[in-house]
Amino acid sequence: MSRFYGYTGKILRISLSDESLNVENLTVEDARNYLGGRGFNAHRLYKEVKAGIDPLEQENKLMFATGPLVGTMFPTASRFNVSAKSPHTGIFGDSNAGGHFAPEMKFAGYDQIIIEGKSENPIYISVKDDEIEFRDAEQITGSTVFDADAYIKKDLADARTQTVICGPAAENGVKYGALFANQVRAASRTGMGTVMASKNVKALALRGTGAVEVAEPDRFRDLVLQLEQEIREHEQYQGRRLMGTTRILMMANAAGFLPTRNYLSGVYEHAAEVSGEKLAEKYNVKSRGCFACTIPCSRVYSVKNGPFKGLHGEGPEYESLGSFSSRIGNPDIELALKGNDLCNQLGLDILTVAGCIGWAMELYEAGELTKEETGGLELNWGNKEAFLTLIQQISDREGFGDILADGSVEAARKLGKGMDRTVQVKGMDLIMADPRGLKGFGLGYAVSSRGGDHLRSEPFIELSDDPELGRQMFGVPEATLRREEKGKGKLINYFEDWCAVIDALEPCKNIMQNMMLLPFEKAATVMEITTGLKLTPKEVREAGSRIINIERMFGIREGITRQDDDLPKRFKETPLTEGDSSDVVVNIEFMLDEYYTERGWDIATGHPTPETLRRLDLGFAVADLP
Amino acid sequence: MKRITVTAENCAGCRQCEMVCSFQHTGKFSSSLARVTVHKDDRNGLDYPLMCRQCTDCPPLDSCPVQAISRNSDGAIWVDWQTCTGCGLCENVCKYDAVKLNESKAYICDLCGGDPHCVQRCPTEALQYIETPEFTETPETAFSRMKEEWCFNE
Repeated sequence: MSRFYGYTGKILRISLSDESLNVENLTVEDARNYLGGRGFNAHRLYKEVKAGIDPLEQENKLMFATGPLVGTMFPTASRFNVSAKSPHTGIFGDSNAGGHFAPEMKFAGYDQIIIEGKSENPIYISVKDDEIEFRDAEQITGSTVFDADAYIKKDLADARTQTVICGPAAENGVKYGALFANQVRAASRTGMGTVMASKNVKALALRGTGAVEVAEPDRFRDLVLQLEQEIREHEQYQGRRLMGTTRILMMANAAGFLPTRNYLSGVYEHAAEVSGEKLAEKYNVKSRGCFACTIPCSRVYSVKNGPFKGLHGEGPEYESLGSFSSRIGNPDIELALKGNDLCNQLGLDILTVAGCIGWAMELYEAGELTKEETGGLELNWGNKEAFLTLIQQISDREGFGDILADGSVEAARKLGKGMDRTVQVKGMDLIMADPRGLKGFGLGYAVSSRGGDHLRSEPFIELSDDPELGRQMFGVPEATLRREEKGKGKLINYFEDWCAVIDALEPCKNIMQNMMLLPFEKAATVMEITTGLKLTPKEVREAGSRIINIERMFGIREGITRQDDDLPKRFKETPLTEGDSSDVVVNIEFMLDEYYTERGWDIATGHPTPETLRRLDLGFAVADLP
Repeated sequence: MKRITVTAENCAGCRQCEMVCSFQHTGKFSSSLARVTVHKDDRNGLDYPLMCRQCTDCPPLDSCPVQAISRNSDGAIWVDWQTCTGCGLCENVCKYDAVKLNESKAYICDLCGGDPHCVQRCPTEALQYIETPEFTETPETAFSRMKEEWCFNE
């Protein structure tokens, strides 16, 4: 192949310690094997970051990568992955965000940007096509994400600069500091902002004037038009346009899996007051979207009265809205909006903030945590003042916030109590869906390469409760019944591979996966038309599987085994007592056996077998098996 | 004459207009090759696609030192790239900042021969191609209006 289509074919390596730069060529082999985005990062991180290093020392590397569809008019292709060893979990760290940063990376000429070493002074990095500058960031050290973004655009005298920025929380060493594109588009999980701050880098600013070309322009245009029509005619179109992901909150409540008061319940009596419907009806003023989106699902809200009068901004999404309402027992939607805005400015991962505060409130309400221990904060469910104070304290690492600033597991260790009440997997605080009502999601959380999170698999299809789908797709009717455990190994194996492919090509998972618009067959066609690389649907899926396995090996090298693929105790032992997900617990061991078998992993240890690794061209990782 | 007008309240800032403009004219995808530019205010969640308004009184047309700018049969502003020297005077005198200079050529909206692709492709009906005397709104005036209307200045 003489040149790349879709891809730029270039990887930019920035070494902070000696301020050197290197542009490397993408190989066709890597493009075929890892596709892009998350796959590129997983592969290079495995090869370049040794096991056992301190995530906040200079041996760690921070990698940004995007996919071959981005920087074109392919609907929703706007996303990037950022990866490093995680300071929050100590295993594979990775997060994904939309907005306009990723296409700018392509226009600047890069599929991947690798940042290594550590800067001596506080800087931000400016990349303008092939001109790279290390610019003084003294003025924005400790600045909020919003202020830093405004400063950088002014400093570079270019309003079209795209940034990713870490906030003061990350600079203060909070382990779950996030990275933000377009001010509010968060790559929020696993502490990628904290890694950037540890390198003395406040922001990465991009500006590109180049172009992306596709292999077959005419077929590409037809494909785009067809996909757009499918999106507009989809049954989810209207709901997503109006509410984005916040449309889920009422559904989750009706099905009894809306995490309420730190997962003590799956039904929130005030759900309607904090719902996406309420937000749309009373607060939303306009819609907004990521780059190249046909179904812009983000919303701009405005609070016009009351104590938070003048508060306005973009979002929130379901996870944030639920996190700061039902999860902490708060019926005041305006307080949830305020908390969301505060976390965006300070640069915090909202799910982890809610995990920590929800956990502390549960302990407090149970009488296991005293006012003396919290520094005077009364952590009753939904206490407004305590909630806002605690967010600021976490960011500042002050008072009781300092205890919570490393995540709930570390907080329980420091206090010497409450470990059984933490709701996390592998140290990462869980998302907003109770696995007692969603067994496939539960298995997905347990085996996710980055810890407690649904976005590695997101098997939304079990919400259909339609056994016919399970029979067709997996030969097991129970696979698509949400309260059943049988067939979930097959389900998660399939959906993990699929998510990995989407995260590598970098369109929006909500649209291309949840709305079932880009299955493996279609992805193969899209790859060929966009990049000219011919892959069979089977090869596309194998690339997804390869990404899952190399990320798994990253964890294995850090000591992960079957024992770590687990769920919080309450999901395994205590059934919910009300709603449509009550009276069942999760049998995670049963599902793990099936999942490992499907994956070709050893059932006793959860390690990929050497045969599995070799079959996926990952023979280089065999020597790292314990 | 028919002009492209903007309803900023509807614009989601997705920049599909930039992409289709670039693709339609060059076969490539690039914001730099697009004749429309989406102005953004991320803090307030506001967006505004800006392109040539086809003003009756057009300073770039009047002041081009080599007469590279004219109106085509549809009445749309047309740049003859054979003649254009890329001096940038048109960029400076345009009242709306709607001229882009790229690789020493002036990029100005040509209305795609009377069927603007950006209008066709806009997913939120923020762009319309309609008969209107003039269109004089700027991103700044639209942003001020929306901020006022939605109490963003409180």
